[in-house]
Amino acid sequence: MIIVMKPNSTAAEIGAVIARVHEFGASPHPIYGVERTVVAVVGETRYLDREAFLNMPGVEKITSISAPFKLASRESHPDDTLITINGVVIGGKEIVVMAGPCSVESRSQLLETAHAVKEAGAHILRGGAFKPRTSPYSFQGLGLKGLEILAEARECYGLAIVTEVMTPEAVPMVAEYADILQIGARNMQNYGLLHAVGRVQRPVLLKRGMMSSMEELLMSAEYILAGGNYRVMLCERGIRTFEKYTRNTFDLNAVPVLKQLSHLPVIADPSHGTGRWDAVPAMARAAVAAGADGLLIEVHPNPAEAISDGPQSLKPERFAALMRQLKRVAEAVDRTLSTVPA
Amino acid sequence: MIVIMKPGATPADIQRVIERVQSFGLGVHLSTGESRTIIGILGNTGGLDRSIFEAMEGVEGAVRITRPYKVASREFKPFDTVIEVRGVRIGGSGLVVMAGPCSVESRTQILETAHAVKEAGAHILRGGAYKPRTSPYAFQGLGVEGLELLAEAREATGLPIVTEVMSPDEVPLVCEYADILQIGARNMQNYRLLQAVGQVQKPVLLKRGLSSTIQELLMSAEYILAGGNYQVILCERGIRTFETYTRNTLDINAIPVLKQLSHLPVIGDPSHGTGKWELVAPVAKACVAAGADGLMIEVHPQPDLAWSDGAQSLRPERFAELMRELTALASVMGRML
Repeated sequence: MIIVMKPNSTAAEIGAVIARVHEFGASPHPIYGVERTVVAVVGETRYLDREAFLNMPGVEKITSISAPFKLASRESHPDDTLITINGVVIGGKEIVVMAGPCSVESRSQLLETAHAVKEAGAHILRGGAFKPRTSPYSFQGLGLKGLEILAEARECYGLAIVTEVMTPEAVPMVAEYADILQIGARNMQNYGLLHAVGRVQRPVLLKRGMMSSMEELLMSAEYILAGGNYRVMLCERGIRTFEKYTRNTFDLNAVPVLKQLSHLPVIADPSHGTGRWDAVPAMARAAVAAGADGLLIEVHPNPAEAISDGPQSLKPERFAALMRQLKRVAEAVDRTLSTVPA
Repeated sequence: MIVIMKPGATPADIQRVIERVQSFGLGVHLSTGESRTIIGILGNTGGLDRSIFEAMEGVEGAVRITRPYKVASREFKPFDTVIEVRGVRIGGSGLVVMAGPCSVESRTQILETAHAVKEAGAHILRGGAYKPRTSPYAFQGLGVEGLELLAEAREATGLPIVTEVMSPDEVPLVCEYADILQIGARNMQNYRLLQAVGQVQKPVLLKRGLSSTIQELLMSAEYILAGGNYQVILCERGIRTFETYTRNTLDINAIPVLKQLSHLPVIGDPSHGTGKWELVAPVAKACVAAGADGLMIEVHPQPDLAWSDGAQSLRPERFAELMRELTALASVMGRML
């Protein structure tokens, strides 16, 4: 349910509404817009007396949110959510590119990649320190040492870091190093983990599960938002279908759908979405054309020797060439990619 | 198998190879590039030895095509196929837009739509006269009357016509009216129909089946090519997945993949690929950015009154707006619209 305040309502009136919601045992989430404030009410709303709110000063009307996801829905929050990290705004006009290797393998590998992606115009550095691998015998990531190397790369190149967190207990530690916490596709419905990242004040990049519907993705985002962490980015990274020529089927329909249903920024991952480096440029362009707010792209200085995801990783020079193309595509759809050198 | 000629091979060298191939009762397909010629061998080459050709003058080498689709593969023909329909070139540097209603419903409806899409810059008019509908009780199309109305719309606007043919016995009739024969997604593996359209000299738009892989689409194209009809256009129109918010999941990955594996033109259909008109514009742009040679878009003057596919049809004014938006993107992709 949404309590819509009048355009000229005062802070005291909004405060009184919030207090009243608490009295009913539900959770108020005020959203301060340019024109007016609305208070989204979630949780146990069965015993809520709508009339009680309608008569309060400053209240204009009460509406229900028809979607099962409430705080994530555009009904509750008509303006796009903007997430600012280290001066980079995600969800605005600028297409934000997050690039780097699948896994942090060594200090030199990461620093070399960070330097290359920064030069090419990437805004954020990706790199996995904790890796959810299909086989228990595969490389599981460098762990804490990987986080330290990521922090060093941030120091050197001024790029914010996005890295995955796999368990609730690791959240405080990863949050110390990372600028954005990534929830991987396999953990999209790990509700304990979603609760845990909902309680920290670090932006979260939530990847769509490979067999999850768009509504399920939005419901998982809702877990994080309901915990009080409003800085969530949604990420389409391909779903599982009968087509095996590509690693996944990149569902770019999801980009405009998520932008319609939700106010949260939408990021697309053409590396996982295709699994083939030679299809990454075409699909990165397609994602931007479809309206994505940003891209997550795997780059490795020597893909043939990558410990993980080599077949879908771009060489730094191909990435730089792609960034130049993306700048032009962004401009053709009224967006910008201002960091790409002319 | 393909025979690759040396850059300096003479016409006489090429002719000798062709005659040699023909002496085995096999056919040839020539791909003439700027620097060299590639001779594709048609038919069953199982018993053929590569060394027969490799010893010949002007021949660089002979290579067996490892993929199950042969004539459809880029190995067989490295250069993009360009199909010309009444002056419209599909697969070249232009982005080709095919637009119109799902079904031809009436004379005024098709003429009004044809004028509107022409005005907005579409190159080809689409419209179904024979409709493969899920329910036998749903509108099945106007049949011959629909074809006549399409021909009248072509007369009035100059737009070539693409329309579906559903059965082998109707191929000659539909050929009389259509400029491009469409094989619908449900018929992608109707092999008799594929053989029938392989026998005629009309371009064919082959839509990917709802549950068909990229390789199966290319194998179906191979049926048509093997029949001697080399004018095949591939169309990605969405596949069936667990996601039901959209009618289908448009597999845009298939666009760069098909362009890599095959020389045939590739078209994207964002109308069927999404099933929702409000998603058509962003997804159409995605297809163009992914490298599609063209688009197929459903347009209806009054989508809420459409007899079929109203939910995914654009109003003429929205279509015109989309065409304006596509122009900038097409030029980034080095294409004209």
